[in-house]
Amino acid sequence: MAEYSRLAKGKFTSTGQAQVVNLPFRPDYVEFINYSAAASGADNGVPKAYWDFNMGQGFAVIDRFQAANQLTMDTVDLLGITTFEAGNLTQYGAALAISTVTKAAAAVVTSVSNHGLKSGDVVIMNNLYQTAVTCMQQIAGMPFTVTVTGDTTFTIPWNTNQSAYTAYDTATSTEDAFFKKVLYPYLYFPGVNFISAITTGTTTTIDTTTAHNFVVGQEVAFRVPTQYGTVELNSLPNQTIPGSPIYGYVIAVTDYNTVIVNVDSTAYTAFDSNQSFTSFVGLSFPQIVAVGDINTGGVQISSGSALYPPPYSIPIGTTRVNTINGPAIQGAYVNNTAQGFVIGAGVAEGDASAILVGAASDVIYWRAYLHDISLP
Amino acid sequence: MNQITNTGNLGPMILQSLAPGMLYTPTASMNYITIADKVAMPAHGGTTCRFMRPRALKPPTVQLGNSGIDPPAQVPQRDVIDAQVAFFGTGCIINEQVILQDQEGVLAWVSERLAVSMRQAEDLILRDYIISAASQINAGGGSNGDNPTNFGTSDFSLVATTLDCNNAFKFVSGIEGTPKIGTGPVRSGYFMLSSTELQTDFDALTGQGFKNQWDYSNNASALITEYGSVFNIRILTSSEAPVIRGGSANGNDLYYNTVAGKQALTHVKQTGMSMKMIYRDPYYSGMLAQNCTLAIKFPQGQALTQDTAIRNLMSTRKSGFIF
Repeated sequence: MAEYSRLAKGKFTSTGQAQVVNLPFRPDYVEFINYSAAASGADNGVPKAYWDFNMGQGFAVIDRFQAANQLTMDTVDLLGITTFEAGNLTQYGAALAISTVTKAAAAVVTSVSNHGLKSGDVVIMNNLYQTAVTCMQQIAGMPFTVTVTGDTTFTIPWNTNQSAYTAYDTATSTEDAFFKKVLYPYLYFPGVNFISAITTGTTTTIDTTTAHNFVVGQEVAFRVPTQYGTVELNSLPNQTIPGSPIYGYVIAVTDYNTVIVNVDSTAYTAFDSNQSFTSFVGLSFPQIVAVGDINTGGVQISSGSALYPPPYSIPIGTTRVNTINGPAIQGAYVNNTAQGFVIGAGVAEGDASAILVGAASDVIYWRAYLHDISLP
Repeated sequence: MNQITNTGNLGPMILQSLAPGMLYTPTASMNYITIADKVAMPAHGGTTCRFMRPRALKPPTVQLGNSGIDPPAQVPQRDVIDAQVAFFGTGCIINEQVILQDQEGVLAWVSERLAVSMRQAEDLILRDYIISAASQINAGGGSNGDNPTNFGTSDFSLVATTLDCNNAFKFVSGIEGTPKIGTGPVRSGYFMLSSTELQTDFDALTGQGFKNQWDYSNNASALITEYGSVFNIRILTSSEAPVIRGGSANGNDLYYNTVAGKQALTHVKQTGMSMKMIYRDPYYSGMLAQNCTLAIKFPQGQALTQDTAIRNLMSTRKSGFIF
């Protein structure tokens, strides 16, 4: 009786962070063995875990060591095992209240309750009013990649330590600020990105608010509104060749949100992200857009990679997240929709040191099922 | 007192008859494919569709003079755009007993629904791709104090001017005026793909630039989803147009209104494998041949082939709550 059921298994080495497993189906049951935790038998280890669809998303039942080589059972009620179907860009998480946003480069956001984010996630913030005319509505609605610094804190790549910005504190504000997670920000890439900073020079360095997913050889265009200064980068029709847009090429990828473009901007107007609060109504954001590429080859084979490596996104740092596609020309427009499950970094109800996904370097063997019959 | 129903104590028999025909299934209009150029990759032609666009050469506006020396040659250049094709599909398993016993032609209506779902997927993929790839202009002409604002007529003018400055091609020619009371001419236009939720906002701009499709001097050329026009923008609406609930600066609903000229977006298929409806007889399902399968499968790639000719005009809504 398994004609239409789906069974899958695999293994991964934990990074200590939530692990995404792509599958050609969305399982209704997941279990895994943490071989490393089982072998060591150390206190707080989670050698086995189980999740059934009927438990609800984000839960799990676990075996954990309550002392060395002494097993007990427990549950994970937040950031446990979840399934996902990433096929729609308009999916956002629930609104979570913001407690404070600091005036700093990089601004620090504190949530009222645990945010449940991991570094590399993308959020938008809204209602950033301290008074009716102060705070940071200039960046409300703009997507930001977060770097998590605590259960209730994260930073965003934007400099709010400028004269036009005022810190947010919900205790004294006139509005309730909140943020939402963009559930699947990179379903298609490369694409449009918002610019947080531009460093002019013989080459031009661009910082973006989220992962750009550009590669060396990417052809790019700019859309810089007048208020932000560096309008000379814009691709509006070239004056010397009327009608021909001006493009640049990425010549170096510094980081997940920084690229260097081969445009000599030495004489260009400086970029200004210090937009006044009162200008926020109708304010468009500066953007860099992928418009083509000059590549002809795919992702190169490296140690441990697939024989024909698929295109990948880099949501933060040097983390590569492979698409489920076959190989593609680097810089090509690719589809990154996927489904599967996530083993989260949630902790046991009875032991905050027992982490579901284990510690970095733990080897985990998983199995996932989608059953023919599930009663009731 | 509860009464237990058993074979000796049944309720009165209710006579019934199946009404002819299936009721309609509410289905969103699929506008995104409308604006897309269509390209078919050749069979066995690889996984990537490559587009090339020549760059303009510098016009020789300096006279040759009488030196007899040729000016330096120009280097012809081209821009390259690559799109990877991916495959999509879904299907249904239908027990043979259903087919044998039901009166309403199960295979027929399931086939129809699969075909529609295939077309919807095609459109939604294009929609989401445009969200991710096209640059944005926030509406600022409205009065609701948000970012973006609700529509003001200046927003339509701004986005059309932007595309005009980029030398984009409009989709449709204008419609000449005719002596019909209450109607007027319509300008040549780009298409804007908007949400049906914004129709009340468009109506509110009547008299300020918005012209309902029924006020065109001749609406024979209007598309079935065309709601109206503002200046050089002709507006197609659909309930599937993207909206981010609570996504604006002030936490209101945020709408993507895609404004495009010709060749801005290209939809890639594959020759000989564009869309397949697959029926598998119960004979193949097991020793008792109990289940048939009906499925659809299609390849699709997409690219912004003229990034200068497309913008997402972001807006919020002025009118009341939609429910």
